[in-house]
Amino acid sequence: MTTRLIDESLFDGADPPRLVGARCTGCRTVVFPRQDSCPRCSDGAMTAHVLPDSGEIWSWTVQSFRPKEPYRPPAVGHQPYALGYVDLGEILVEARLDIPRRLIRIGLPVRLTTVEAYRDEDGTRILTFAFGSAAEDER
Amino acid sequence: MSRPEEIYVVGCGMHPFGRDESVSGMDMAERAIREALADAGVAWADIGYAAGGSDVSGKPDTLVGRLGLTGVPFVNVQNGCATGASTVLAVANALRAGEASLGLAVGFDKHERGAFHVSAARYGLGDWYAETGMMLTTQFFALKTQRYLHEYAIGERALAMVAARAFRNGSRHPLAWRRKELTEEEILGSAEVSPPLTQYMFCSPGQGAAALVLARGDRAFDLCERPVKLASLAFRTRRFGSFEVFAPWLPPGPHRSPSVDAAEAVFRGAGLRPSDVQVAQLQDTDSGSELIHLAETGLCGHGEQPDLLASGATDPTGRIPVNTDGGCLAGGEPVGASGLRQFHEVVRQLQGRAPGEQVPGGPRVGFTHVYGAPGISACAVLTV
Repeated sequence: MTTRLIDESLFDGADPPRLVGARCTGCRTVVFPRQDSCPRCSDGAMTAHVLPDSGEIWSWTVQSFRPKEPYRPPAVGHQPYALGYVDLGEILVEARLDIPRRLIRIGLPVRLTTVEAYRDEDGTRILTFAFGSAAEDER
Repeated sequence: MSRPEEIYVVGCGMHPFGRDESVSGMDMAERAIREALADAGVAWADIGYAAGGSDVSGKPDTLVGRLGLTGVPFVNVQNGCATGASTVLAVANALRAGEASLGLAVGFDKHERGAFHVSAARYGLGDWYAETGMMLTTQFFALKTQRYLHEYAIGERALAMVAARAFRNGSRHPLAWRRKELTEEEILGSAEVSPPLTQYMFCSPGQGAAALVLARGDRAFDLCERPVKLASLAFRTRRFGSFEVFAPWLPPGPHRSPSVDAAEAVFRGAGLRPSDVQVAQLQDTDSGSELIHLAETGLCGHGEQPDLLASGATDPTGRIPVNTDGGCLAGGEPVGASGLRQFHEVVRQLQGRAPGEQVPGGPRVGFTHVYGAPGISACAVLTV
């Protein structure tokens, strides 16, 4: 089955993919996704910047009800899913959490992964970024 | 004696909030305006400057077709949750500049049921953000609340206390939507939306309208027995480092909200302190937001909320009554109208004629606060 990343501009093109943001050459502020100007200072150019692939959960919640469009549910239909902000040191990134709810807590070490967001009309699996438990990953 | 450039509220009107399929947003706005004009004892033709706001229910300036084609300048405002405050700001500044001596501010909305429908492109975000199910205001409030409870070691019961008080106040208010009291257990046990927030800890998009007649100081006391002075009004957008709705990323903390900036500015402008406030309105899109806003506006310290709530200090009979009309939780959230609902309630409290439970002892200092996407806040201090 073919797969595709939901938006190439979020990733670095490597396998496995890493998230790519941008960093200001002036004030060193890191942003995600990439943008061409710095939200902090009016100086400096923005250059592509690969984000760290591990960090820890900074905050989390669960989406219980099915969101309205343009949300696209997975092939099995909407199931409650966890998401949160992950502290990567230089930036906090909002992401789906591919972790059983009972294990989710603020401070939990996590590592970048991908999950299926939905299937395209032709059956292509559309992947988006997520963070899974770092401990589970090492097992 | 009042000075001419001081601005006063001399009349207010409000259409009940809730759900009523028989009236449109414009219908409600017209009724609120006519009530405000009658309250001030003036006619539409006396209004020299007007501003109106609505998020989804039409162009406010078309109301002149119903009220009278007097040629009055009428500014339309669309400013999210700060829409109401922005209409007051526009009118107050015009009166202060001498453009007119009497002005009118109106806000109204009528939303479809369920969570707000949002477009990624409208917020400058890629489609992936909404398609993957991260573009929901409810998630933001849950994520901010989750982190806040963790940082200040606050339990989830505090969230239930906020909602229980809102519904208790709403049950005694003739203009509120949710008029049934709920226990803390019922609130904690209601359907989970996004933890730590449950169904009854969230307000619902709804409908409603509210209007104010404002006057310059040299007219106010002729028109109104007890005009309420707009002592200060401050509106701020976010600065770098704030934690806002629809944010795919955040910088490392500390995160400073525009509510902090707006509150500091408004108290400085009024020459008063948060501890002087005797009746307050705080944006309570959800229980967590009110809990956080209590501290961000300076009404209490971070982490003090559970004790404050448990002691009854935020009840109408307490030291610092909050959302005496039930706020957004009991009133629902018609985006364009909520800010002016806050003014309506505080003005009526300061005049000693609250529609619901009156704060005892003749309060003299009132406070309003709104907060919304994409990181805006407006605060006002009202005095008698």
